[in-house]
Amino acid sequence: MTDTISNPGPARLRLDRRTVLKGVAASAGLAAAPGFVRYSQAQSAAPIRIGFQCHRTGIGAAYGRWYEKTTNAAVKLINDAGGINGRPVEIIVEDDGTDAKRGAEVVAKFASQHKTDIVYGTLFSHVVTGSAPTAGELKIPYYVVSEGYHVASGKMNRYCLQPGITDVRSQVTSVAPWIAANAGKKVTMIFPDYAFGYDHRDYLPPALKAQGAEVIAQIAIPPTESSFTRYFPQIPAETEVIYHVMVGPAVLTFVKELGEFYGSNRPQLFGFIDSLEAVDINSPGLEFLDGSHFWEGSPRYAQPNDSDAQKVYRAAVGIDDNGAAVGDPKDVSTAAHMFGCWETLYVIKKAMEDSGYKGPEDRAKLIEATEALTEFKEGNEHPQGDKVFNGKNHQCYGHQNISKLEGGKLNVVHRTSIEDGHYEVEADYTTQPL
Amino acid sequence: MSGRTEGGASSSRLPIAALPAALLCALWTGPAFAHASERGHVLLLPTDYYIAGGAIAVAASFLVLAILPPKLLERLAAQRLALFSISKDLRVLASLCAFALFATLVAAGLFGSRDPLSNPLPLTIWTLLWVGMTLVQGVFGNLWSWINPWYGPWRLLAALFPAIKHRTMPERPGYWPAVLLFLAFAWFELIDPAPDDPARLASAAGLYWLASFVLMIAFGYNDWSRRSEFLSVFFGMISRFAVTEAAAGNRRVRLSLCWPGARLWHAKPLPVSGIAFLLLVLSSVSFDGLSKTFFWLGLIGINPLEFPGRSAVMAVNTLGLMLTFAALSCAYLAAVRLGERLAASGNSLADVAGLMVWSIAPIALVYHFSHYLTALLVDGQYALVALSDPFSLGWNLLGTAHFHVEAGIVAGHDSAWALWNAQAVAIIAGHALAVLIAHALAFRLHEDARRATMSQFPLTVLMIFYTVFGLWLLSTPTAG
Repeated sequence: MTDTISNPGPARLRLDRRTVLKGVAASAGLAAAPGFVRYSQAQSAAPIRIGFQCHRTGIGAAYGRWYEKTTNAAVKLINDAGGINGRPVEIIVEDDGTDAKRGAEVVAKFASQHKTDIVYGTLFSHVVTGSAPTAGELKIPYYVVSEGYHVASGKMNRYCLQPGITDVRSQVTSVAPWIAANAGKKVTMIFPDYAFGYDHRDYLPPALKAQGAEVIAQIAIPPTESSFTRYFPQIPAETEVIYHVMVGPAVLTFVKELGEFYGSNRPQLFGFIDSLEAVDINSPGLEFLDGSHFWEGSPRYAQPNDSDAQKVYRAAVGIDDNGAAVGDPKDVSTAAHMFGCWETLYVIKKAMEDSGYKGPEDRAKLIEATEALTEFKEGNEHPQGDKVFNGKNHQCYGHQNISKLEGGKLNVVHRTSIEDGHYEVEADYTTQPL
Repeated sequence: MSGRTEGGASSSRLPIAALPAALLCALWTGPAFAHASERGHVLLLPTDYYIAGGAIAVAASFLVLAILPPKLLERLAAQRLALFSISKDLRVLASLCAFALFATLVAAGLFGSRDPLSNPLPLTIWTLLWVGMTLVQGVFGNLWSWINPWYGPWRLLAALFPAIKHRTMPERPGYWPAVLLFLAFAWFELIDPAPDDPARLASAAGLYWLASFVLMIAFGYNDWSRRSEFLSVFFGMISRFAVTEAAAGNRRVRLSLCWPGARLWHAKPLPVSGIAFLLLVLSSVSFDGLSKTFFWLGLIGINPLEFPGRSAVMAVNTLGLMLTFAALSCAYLAAVRLGERLAASGNSLADVAGLMVWSIAPIALVYHFSHYLTALLVDGQYALVALSDPFSLGWNLLGTAHFHVEAGIVAGHDSAWALWNAQAVAIIAGHALAVLIAHALAFRLHEDARRATMSQFPLTVLMIFYTVFGLWLLSTPTAG
């Protein structure tokens, strides 16, 4: 097994998805087989069923594909190591179409039709906010990998948790000290004029102010915009740093036009890799970004000082040193976010083991056991790094990476402390009844 | 295609059940990672030049045809190169095999993986059948008449109950049943919240097979499949553009090679329902493209970077689909009518429109190719994997169960460039061929070359517009 972890090899990796699927269907077939009664009586060997609410279709499909790969890789390792509480883990995938209403239906389907132990794996925030009420009503634990602030804000419910990926408020807050100390004190923000942009608009200025820097202009770009040149004259001349978080298909156009606007004499640039997640950083049009800095949750490119755990994780998921699929170099992964699936599954494992989880009757105990967790040590289970977990607002906090784009690669130049991303937590889900 | 990428709607259009979710979305912010996607690379290409070039190429093809002697086209259209003949008995066998495969896939939809990219049913229906089979039909001919899942079972039944061979369907409904059924299919594909859900699709496909089979028994296989079963009607019409011709003998079918579109030379005018069918096909694929554009989403008040999902835009997209069909129909009929006026012709509008609508077939075909190309390249690979292990039991029937799906085949700048060029060439060539076919058909209506050319002028303008529209759909910012 150790060999598999440290050096799975391409052939082995390609088996992952089918192997996991095979496990799912095989146990389904087992249920219909004559000998199953005996098997089911030995409940300790019956699989733990995890409902994976996956963006298989719709606008989240590119992320869903990598979330699925990461999930299968982690589940394979968990099963190879004996499963959870001695029971194998089954993943049951349901496509939510990246649709809020469909997401709620899928949660209900997991609870009533598939009778999964928990629901897991949602990324897009509108699907999380659409599905969480159903999870709360049906009292089924709902572990999301969304990065949204909605869980930490206290607006979900006690059954909704985000223990495997930090929230965007924490991310924005944590990069402020580095920006103020290294990039510049006068910051102009360019962001899309809707919710995603507003997280940055609202949380960055106070965090920068605390570091003695200031936001001197905020330029909100309408989401339907596909040409940006006319907005650039609004950037104040004294700007030292442009903080950009544009997303969508026009990002490449945005970068190209910004490059044409500034030429070689530009302010510092700081962005969130969300803008270019799953996009080759060396694509034509992105040359202007050379030398600029990005936030990354987990580094896309292999780093010289990668931990053994990081190497195990990358090999198991099947990404090469450039963060692309092994054997398919153009298939760039969603590396900055998908590690959250891996880590969340290990948190689930830990909480199930702590609570002695046996079946759906123990779901409340599982929530309490998760809430009782306080920290996760860096290692094979948490390859992105140490984290602390706040059981009250159901949110984890961790290190963030600041990477410089140079030589066609993103090299990590700074790793924030966990404390850099702290903010005052007001939510307390533990006061809600289970 | 189906649910692979979609848009959203304003909260005012949301069904009541979705309101709490929509309110939450509005109140609490969080990342919605609108993917930069491959369209981002296309946005950097000089697509404006392509669009202008395409319009000029289609216009030029009209001018060239205006001076080309019609006899030359006629000679080309009549050219045949004999290939080989096939026993008709194989048709029953082929259809029975297809039926067995279909039944297995429906079972897989009901009992196999719940993942639409692991279950072979959605991948076969939406990718291999709807996309791949359409292209096969359009290029190679009417293979569907051999491998549809009804013919074999119907022949078996007819052997037991010979009376059903003599059942017929009244002429009166024309293609209207096919129009309605295709509309239902298009709605399911483009607007239903979960057309990829294996169980949902298995129920829909299984029930459709059963209902069609009963109706084929009631109204005769030939009549129902030729005028009412929408897939057979669609594939049959598209195959008229193919490079093969099948001539049926007593026991064998003789195949010969011909020029693309040559078989349309002797096409009979379609009734109004047939016109509606072809225009609806083109409208639905066009609307699928349109519904994801920033333009359409802006029009219906949606932030394209933050979709609520398909379920929130069902009403407005249903309206959009119907409006697209209405707009294309109006534009087509207006172009035909204006053309007849310019030619001072005494032909009836229905006859002319019914004949000229055949020129829409190649446009529908190239739209199909261009619109679904990326889906075919990626989901086609998933289909190969899923078909090898249809019930996720660890089988490897085709030896492809562990095939590594290369999603990167459509990723990045180089792929975007290659795909865009393939799409643009197809769209432009398809429209140029449509102009050619329309031109040839016009000579059947107008003996006088000048009148024939004049009659084509408005339709050519429409085709130039559709070329521009098609290339714009493939190059404008889209969601997902």
